[in-house]
Order: sequence, then C-alpha cells, then structure tokens
Amino acid sequence: MTALNILAAAVNGTKARRIPVFCNMLDHGAGELGMSQHEYYSKGEHVAEGQLRLRARYGYDNVWSLFYVGREAELLGCREILFAEEGPPNVADFVIKDYDDIARLEIPDDITAHPAWTETGKCLDILQREVGATHPICAYITASTTLPAILMGMEQWLDLLLNGPIDVRDELLRKCSDFCQREIAAYRAAGANVLVYSTPFGSTSFVGMKRFRELILPWMKRDLAQNGPANIVYYCGMAPFNDVIEQVLAELGISTYYISPIADLAEAKALIGTRALTCGVIDDIKMIRYTPKETREEVRRICEIGKPGGHFLFGTGVMPVSVPEANIRAMIDAAFEYGMTP
Amino acid sequence: MRDVIKAYNEAVFETDKEAAFRAVNEALAEGLSAEEIVFKVVIPAVEEMMTRIGQDPDANLAQHFMTAQIASEVTEKMLEKFEHPPEIIGRVVIGTAYGDLHSLGKRIVMGCLKAMMVDVVDLGVNVPAERFVDEARTRDAQVIAISAMMVHTANGPHGSLKVRQLLNEQALEERIRIAVGGAPYRFDGELYRAVGADAYATDGVTAGKVIIDLIHGVRPS
Repeated sequence: MTALNILAAAVNGTKARRIPVFCNMLDHGAGELGMSQHEYYSKGEHVAEGQLRLRARYGYDNVWSLFYVGREAELLGCREILFAEEGPPNVADFVIKDYDDIARLEIPDDITAHPAWTETGKCLDILQREVGATHPICAYITASTTLPAILMGMEQWLDLLLNGPIDVRDELLRKCSDFCQREIAAYRAAGANVLVYSTPFGSTSFVGMKRFRELILPWMKRDLAQNGPANIVYYCGMAPFNDVIEQVLAELGISTYYISPIADLAEAKALIGTRALTCGVIDDIKMIRYTPKETREEVRRICEIGKPGGHFLFGTGVMPVSVPEANIRAMIDAAFEYGMTP
Repeated sequence: MRDVIKAYNEAVFETDKEAAFRAVNEALAEGLSAEEIVFKVVIPAVEEMMTRIGQDPDANLAQHFMTAQIASEVTEKMLEKFEHPPEIIGRVVIGTAYGDLHSLGKRIVMGCLKAMMVDVVDLGVNVPAERFVDEARTRDAQVIAISAMMVHTANGPHGSLKVRQLLNEQALEERIRIAVGGAPYRFDGELYRAVGADAYATDGVTAGKVIIDLIHGVRPS
C-alpha cells in the first residue's frame, strides 16, 4: 500500500495496515541542503529537494509545496520578507498600508502567471513527478477572513474587522475570497491533493460564536463554493475549534479536521465519528523539551484516543527547528507502531 | 454608579466600543468625575475581564483586543480631565522579540497596562536584547516585557535568553524582571522557564496582571 492508499483508506474508513502519519517540516529543508533560509527558499528545486530528502530520512507520509506563509502575500504584491535561520520567515512589507490600498488591491486572474508562483510551480512539478503517484502533496491556502492579517498586519485587520467601515471590510474580504478560490484551483491543477485551508478566524478562540456564524462562516462558504470541499483540511492554525465542527460539517461539507493539540481530541473524535477524518495532532512545541520516551508516550496517548473506529490520522503542527532529531524519530516510530491496525 | 458599571462591563464583554463610550459619556453627564470613571469603572472592568478571560474557555481574541482598546482609549480621554496627574504604579519597557514582527499581543498588553496606571515604554517590533536592557536601565523600569509569536523568537538565542544573560552580567536581576508572552508559551507552560523569564501570560489581558504582580515584587531601587 502506498501512503496515498493509506490516506484514502483512513478517509473512506476502509482497511489499511496503519493510520496515515503526517509530519510538517518546512524550515528544516534548508539545513538538510546546507543552505541559508534565504537561498533555500529562492528556488522551487531546493524546496522540492528538501521535502523529498526529509520524507526519505524519516519515512512519514506527506510532502509540502508550501515555502512559507508570506508567499501568498508575495503573490499579492509584498516586496520584503524577513528571513531567519532558526524559524519561518516573516512578512516585512504590508501590501495594505491604509484603506485606499484595499481599493487598489488587484487579484490576478491567473495566479500561476504571476512571477511569485513560478518557483512554487517548479516545486510542485518536481514533487508530482517524484512522489505524486505514491504520496500526498500538501498545499497551504489561507482563508479569506485570515489572509488580510498577512496583507495589513493582525492589529490593523482586527481594527477593520471589529471597528472599521463594513463596505471596506467586505471589499477586502471579497478580494481575498476571490484569491482563495483561484489559489485552490491553481494548486489542484498543479497536483496538490491535500489542501490545508488555514482559517484561524474559523475558531471561536479568535471571534465569538455570533461573529463566527454571521460573518466568518458565510465567507468560508464563498471561499470553497466554486471548487468544492474535496481534499480540504479544516485547520485553525493550532487554535481549538471543537465547538464549530458540527456547523462546518453541515455547512461546508469539509471531510478532514486538523484538531488543535490543546483541544479535547476525544470530544472531537466523538463529534466527527465516521463522517470525516479526524487528525490527532501532537504539541510539537512541547517536543522541544520532551525526552524520546515522553514523545512516545504522547504519541501513544493520541493514537489510543483517535484510532478506535478508524477515520484517523496522526499529525504534527509546523515542527519547530529546535525539536531534537531523536524526538522526531521517536515520534515517527511510535506513530507507526501505535498506529498499526489489527 | 452601579448602572454605569453594568452598562460599561457589558459593552466591553460584547466588544462594543460605541456602547462603552456611550456609558462613559452618560456617566460624565450625570456628574461622575473622570477620576471616578477610571478608578471605579474602567480599572475594575479590566480586572473583571482578566478574571472572566482566565475562567471562561470561550473568551476570544476579539474580546482581548477590544478590552484593551476600549480601556486605553477611555483612560486616555479621562486623563485629560483629571484634576491632578494620577500616581503611576510602575514602569515597563515592552517590545517584540528580535526577529519577530507580530505586534498584536504587545498592543493588547499595552492597552491594559496603561489603563491600570502603569507607565509603558513601547520599543516597537524586532527589538534587540541589548536595547531592552539599556532602555529598562536608563528609564528605571521594573519589568521588561517581551512578546514572541514564533517558537524561534521565543526560545532562540537573541530573545529572552539574551536579555536574561545581559541582566545577569550587569547585576540588574534584582531590579528588573522579565515577562514573556505569545503563542508558543500557550502551548508549553514550562517554556518561559527555559528562556529565563520570571513569568508568562497566556493572553494579552492576563499579561497586564502578571506584569503588575512583577512590578510589586521588585525591590525599590
């Protein structure tokens, strides 16, 4: 069975020898290739090579086409990224500096024709060629209600969302939703088959339930309406979202839920049942100080909660570079061991 | 007074800035002083939100943001009307860790601290450790508050760890405390110890209380 077959079995609830094991290693690629982050992220070939080497080294199931989150801002005009050696790059130039910039913001009709897509496209070509037939290829798509945070800064976005003129807010959301739709189509066409829909505002840790229902949910519907929810993963940037699972299932029809490590996994699994895929996620920030034994124990705990009844995947957050390699190996070994199915 | 407090607290909890200002303006029209509004309405409301947010698992980022924004804006307006300048309970230098450009948490903390009569020196984003220490020393601050939204800026060598090292080298550890906050600390409650901080907060509003406790714990210089 290939990793793709194992993932399909977990989604469909059919038999496989083990659960899928996803490990999200992005910034590790530069170290793998002996490059600075800046050099590594300058070429799609580097990112693809880094992903392939990391997957081969640890043996987990997935690869990523994501360079860094600010890449979406670059597709919309961001001209400066602050690189670091130990962690993810930051957006250092906000595309939207005042409300007039929202009127001026242009969403490309074909984002694959944009120069900032070129390297992403090359990366996807290589991944598709090398492992497309056997392994899931992940892409990262920011929801319309969250994308403004990387275009104008979180403070300014919250100000506009909570206090600003509604027509300006909605113009920005409409443009971001158009971008989201086009991005989903572009990634699917390029061979990505696991689309991680990053929607932190789709968690009531960010806004109250009333705003979630009246504002966020309708925009998420619009994001997904054109292309459908197939292969979309509901992910709130590690924020808990158990209390909206029922509504998201009913209203959006999303079939995979990436549960926060600080949420109650048993509750999430009980809510989702066999209707969709529940992803149990390890707190990989704690893995920085865990021993390999503690890491194994945590993997065992997660698998014991999630595995009964099937429809379960084990995953990580965005693995910090400072997690010891011994813990990553312990985690993967334990996930294969405790994720075996009878 | 009870009606004013009730109306203001509800407005803050519902993140309704207009309603909060309406409650304050009605109170002023009814003869309450600016001092009464700050000390009997705004500060207790921030304290109430600190308690509610700490106990209520459904408290959300929008509430934190608006609590701080409303409190700081109302306080700023009321301070203009004070007959005598209020007594400041301490001073904090605050900024985001070196390499970190995420300023939202810092803004929430600043809003709460200002309303609680703490003098706040904002060093901005991407602040080198040396600057945190230099500014805290020269401005006689009791607390250095470092916000970090990413793991590598929280536990990397240029953030809180370096600030701790500099405080130690300059024999300032008895005079100046370190508070940290940001997403990584929420996922690992032990992380603040590993980065040499004295305390951490899981969100911007409770950070106000944590920092005030640190100020009270510092020996007068």
